Amino acid sequence: MNDLIAPFNFHTVVTEPWSAVYWQTTFWIVLQATLVGISCALVGNFLILRRLALVGDAISHSVLPGIVVAFLIGHGDGPLVMFGAMVAGMLTTLGIEWIYKNSRIKQDAAIGIVFTTLFALGVILVSFAANDIHIDAECILYGKLEQAAIFSGDRMISPQIIPAAFVAVTSLLLVVLFYKQLLVSAFDETLAGSLGIPASWVHYGLMAWLSVVVVSAFQAVGSIMVVAMLIVPGATAMLLSMRLPTVMWISCVHALLSALVGYHLALWLNCNSSAAIVVTGMGFFCMAWMFSPSQGMVSQFLVRKALREKLAATRRARMG
Amino acid sequence: MKDDLRSAEKSTAQVSPEPTQEAPALEIHDLTVAYQRKPVLWGIDVEVGAGKLVGIVGPNGAGKSTLIKAAMGLLPLSSGWVEAFGKPLKDNLKRVGYVPQREDIDWDFPVTVADVVLMGRYGHLGIFQRPKKRDHEIVRECLAKVRMLPFADRQIANLSGGQQQRVFLARALAQESDLYFMDEPFAGVDASTEDAIISLLRELRDSGKTLFVVHHDLSTAADYFDQLLLLNMRLVAFGDTKEVFTPELVQKTYGGQLTIMQQVAEALKLEEGLTKELRH
Amino acid sequence: MKADSGVGKEVAFVKRWQSGRERERERGLGVAGPSQRSTVLRQRPSSGLLIALAIAALWTVAGVGEVQAARISHVTDTSVGEQVVRFFSMRDPLVRTAVIGCILMGISSGLLGGFIVVRRLALVGDTISHAVLPGIMMGYLWHLEKDPVALFIGAVIAGVLGAVFVSMIRQTTRIKQDAALGIVLGGFYALGILIKSIIQRGAGGDQSGLDDFLFGNAAALSSGDVILMAVVTGLALLLVGLFYKQFFVSSFDETFAESLGVPSQVFHYLLMVLLAFSIVVALQAVGAVLVSAMLIIPPATAYLLTDRLHKLLLLSVVIGIVASVGGAFFSFLSTGLPTGPFMIVSAAACFVVAFLFSPSHGVLPRIFRRREQTRRIQRENTLKAMYHLIEEEGGVDVVAQSGRRVSVESLMTKRGRDATEFDTEIAALVRHDLARRENGSIELTETGWTRAQEIVRNHRLWELYLTNAADIASDHVHDDAEIIEHVIGAELVAELEKQLKNARIDPHGSNIPVVEEGIAQ
Repeated sequence: MNDLIAPFNFHTVVTEPWSAVYWQTTFWIVLQATLVGISCALVGNFLILRRLALVGDAISHSVLPGIVVAFLIGHGDGPLVMFGAMVAGMLTTLGIEWIYKNSRIKQDAAIGIVFTTLFALGVILVSFAANDIHIDAECILYGKLEQAAIFSGDRMISPQIIPAAFVAVTSLLLVVLFYKQLLVSAFDETLAGSLGIPASWVHYGLMAWLSVVVVSAFQAVGSIMVVAMLIVPGATAMLLSMRLPTVMWISCVHALLSALVGYHLALWLNCNSSAAIVVTGMGFFCMAWMFSPSQGMVSQFLVRKALREKLAATRRARMG
Repeated sequence: MKDDLRSAEKSTAQVSPEPTQEAPALEIHDLTVAYQRKPVLWGIDVEVGAGKLVGIVGPNGAGKSTLIKAAMGLLPLSSGWVEAFGKPLKDNLKRVGYVPQREDIDWDFPVTVADVVLMGRYGHLGIFQRPKKRDHEIVRECLAKVRMLPFADRQIANLSGGQQQRVFLARALAQESDLYFMDEPFAGVDASTEDAIISLLRELRDSGKTLFVVHHDLSTAADYFDQLLLLNMRLVAFGDTKEVFTPELVQKTYGGQLTIMQQVAEALKLEEGLTKELRH
Repeated sequence: MKADSGVGKEVAFVKRWQSGRERERERGLGVAGPSQRSTVLRQRPSSGLLIALAIAALWTVAGVGEVQAARISHVTDTSVGEQVVRFFSMRDPLVRTAVIGCILMGISSGLLGGFIVVRRLALVGDTISHAVLPGIMMGYLWHLEKDPVALFIGAVIAGVLGAVFVSMIRQTTRIKQDAALGIVLGGFYALGILIKSIIQRGAGGDQSGLDDFLFGNAAALSSGDVILMAVVTGLALLLVGLFYKQFFVSSFDETFAESLGVPSQVFHYLLMVLLAFSIVVALQAVGAVLVSAMLIIPPATAYLLTDRLHKLLLLSVVIGIVASVGGAFFSFLSTGLPTGPFMIVSAAACFVVAFLFSPSHGVLPRIFRRREQTRRIQRENTLKAMYHLIEEEGGVDVVAQSGRRVSVESLMTKRGRDATEFDTEIAALVRHDLARRENGSIELTETGWTRAQEIVRNHRLWELYLTNAADIASDHVHDDAEIIEHVIGAELVAELEKQLKNARIDPHGSNIPVVEEGIAQ
């Protein structure tokens, strides 16, 4: 057991990665993780507000057949893969809605039915077309964050960063531009309708955007940990603040801190860095859960204790 | 403000119920319940004999449902105790029947009307025991009593609101309890069902059962119930309807000074110094 | 190939008594099936049969115990036809092990999935199936080898911990169920991957075995795995059989269950523990992602087909078995095809069929019913028009003399139809024995006449009710009554008549027809 966890050495874990020799590697990996994290956190906030957190899980699985088909057609052409993922993501959303609006099946079961089926179809497609496509299963499951730092020295920036940065900037832009619409339709669809905001368009737009974010995050963190990247920052932020703008900021900071701390954790334990980043994010979540000033377990415990004492005092006063 | 509280406290009209030889059907002593950090019921004292039809009346958020759930031991109590027929109610659940609020149910659940009523018999069965022929007979009798027998094999979503309420009533009958707690059995039912339900409740009362019924309609409360429990986070008044159902007490329950109780509860979770004020 | 040689000679003599046992076992199951169905018809909970099935499942342990590690993938026949024969003849112990494993998985996931779907916890299965990963890895670390018991225990602990985490997050924060599930799913999984990557680096352990937990490989089911599956399935059947009542009532209404003294929380966590058990054993066969599908799709299919919980559980078990055996069969047809995805696709095919064709909840029957209703309303409107014509001509009192007859032209004008449309309309009436067509005129039959009276009566009663009781202006009530007349039944009509004190004149001054009892409907 002991030989599995290396002793913590401040120099190798914290100082050295930022030394003149290694800083570029560290920088690109952390930047990549942060960009992906921010895109996920932004879209994830709205998923949580709309109680659609698990649609993120669903779409992160069901884009697989879309990607495979796009691969078969375009031989790994980037934008085409994105488009295929978007189509699959939209099909998932539509399928889920179609099922629960047309039968007594509840939304959660509908989600489970649609995404697992699409994922299964994707796996079957992969196994039939194994010779034609080269999808790195390891990468899809676990992510290969380190790739961000592997590029020829004569380039100025990592080629992996460009799409991630593009998605992150677009996400920010979308939130800024459509903040009103996103907020109102998440809060109350009827109200949105009465204000002339096409709630269903906002919904489908959000789902398409989610598909894009998920695919761009695949390479960094893999298909399943993306769920945590979507939900954990927003959930942590919502434990700390009640106001949406603040929640958005905190979730972005959460993404940045998880990336930074998580990468160093991975260096220390010498383990998969995507997993370390998500685990760090979970750690932050647990800390907020315990110590949030307004909703933390500790503060709740203190309030309850005070209340119990007050009640006892009141009762004594009434008796006496 | 402290005067308001004082007067409210004094006027908790405790019209004592008739003395009975047997232990009272229900005795609630100093019951306090707090949800999360907010007290919703304070120091409730109630004692009711057998054969009473008691209405629990109060505004929204007064803690009516909370009172019956807490009395049955379904919520943790901050203080106090509850006894039914001289024993802690939790040990006497066989003699207690419950009709939940209609909104609390998943009506798409795969059960038929008869299945739901059969659940009322579960309290009488051993842990591993299965319903016997006699239980099925009782189910049919109870369904017949509420005129729902023709619907026995229907899935419960395919019923009107009044019919759904009647199914719950049949289930309560099947429980063959002596003490009933009913959460808004008149909510969302049509006039004829309401008549049917109240005559059934009276029938139960006449056979010696005690019924606590959460009710939201003040216009009928006085007609329906022998005793009223006016509730707004604390016991405003409890006693025979003709004595308790006075404009003054109703006013106290629904408006005026007593809304302060709610404010107090809100403030209590924020304000430290309030304890002192209460003590004066 | 190793498996073949491993079984080798023993098979020769083991096979004979073993196939005997197989037959007996299957007869046992075969008997259980129909008798269970008849229990359903007698409307009694099927817990007794569940226990019987549990015993049958435990019995399979003995049957499988003799078979050595069996892998379908090691059987490398190429001809599809031969493979089909091979699969269904079941003479191959390797096939048998896989099929028994699939059946067991179908039973346990169908049964427990039934509860989680009706409790609206469908995605809890998905969460647990991912949350077990760190437990599996810790179980591996225990001995640094793939010890099934250690892996099993670790996985169950992690799975249950995940479920507890979800409940705790929900109870102590504002975070809703869906987000809580997402957090636990992603977070636990990441922790698992983290440990896995350490193991792979550090001890250089056999990680190929661990990978099966992610993707699943029914072909890699060993007899030990199948025994574990049988134990878990037996346990699930036994507990659900014994505590069917408690599971039932606490799934339906937790508060009411507690008022009966049934500890809902205990049964909730018992279900979670069983769920974790069955997920862990099924992971081997279908993998983490797809195991949740086996917990959702078969029960959801059954949910569309029946309105009673014990039938739902039974059906979902049957669908689970069909889907998993079907999946095993398809993946058996050619080498290198994954088992799990084929199971899911088979299950999804069942779901699609139920979704489209279920008599009570299917999409197509509903469309059909709606169309049938539109046609009925159209027929009734024709009848009503005829009644009005008869009324205008001579009054309904003279019906006896004039016959219930109207001319084609007048009816055609009244309905505003062209000749083709009119012909179709009348043909529909004739088909339903509501009217007869004789040259130039149309005559209502006895039933047609009664129905026409009823429609007009319903219409006018409702108009009267709206104007009298609801104080709506008499010129506002017609459109409403146009719809209501087709939908109110005898009970409501009686109630309306009672409330209107059998009034006979509608707000527009027309008579409200009296329909003789008995003929109506």
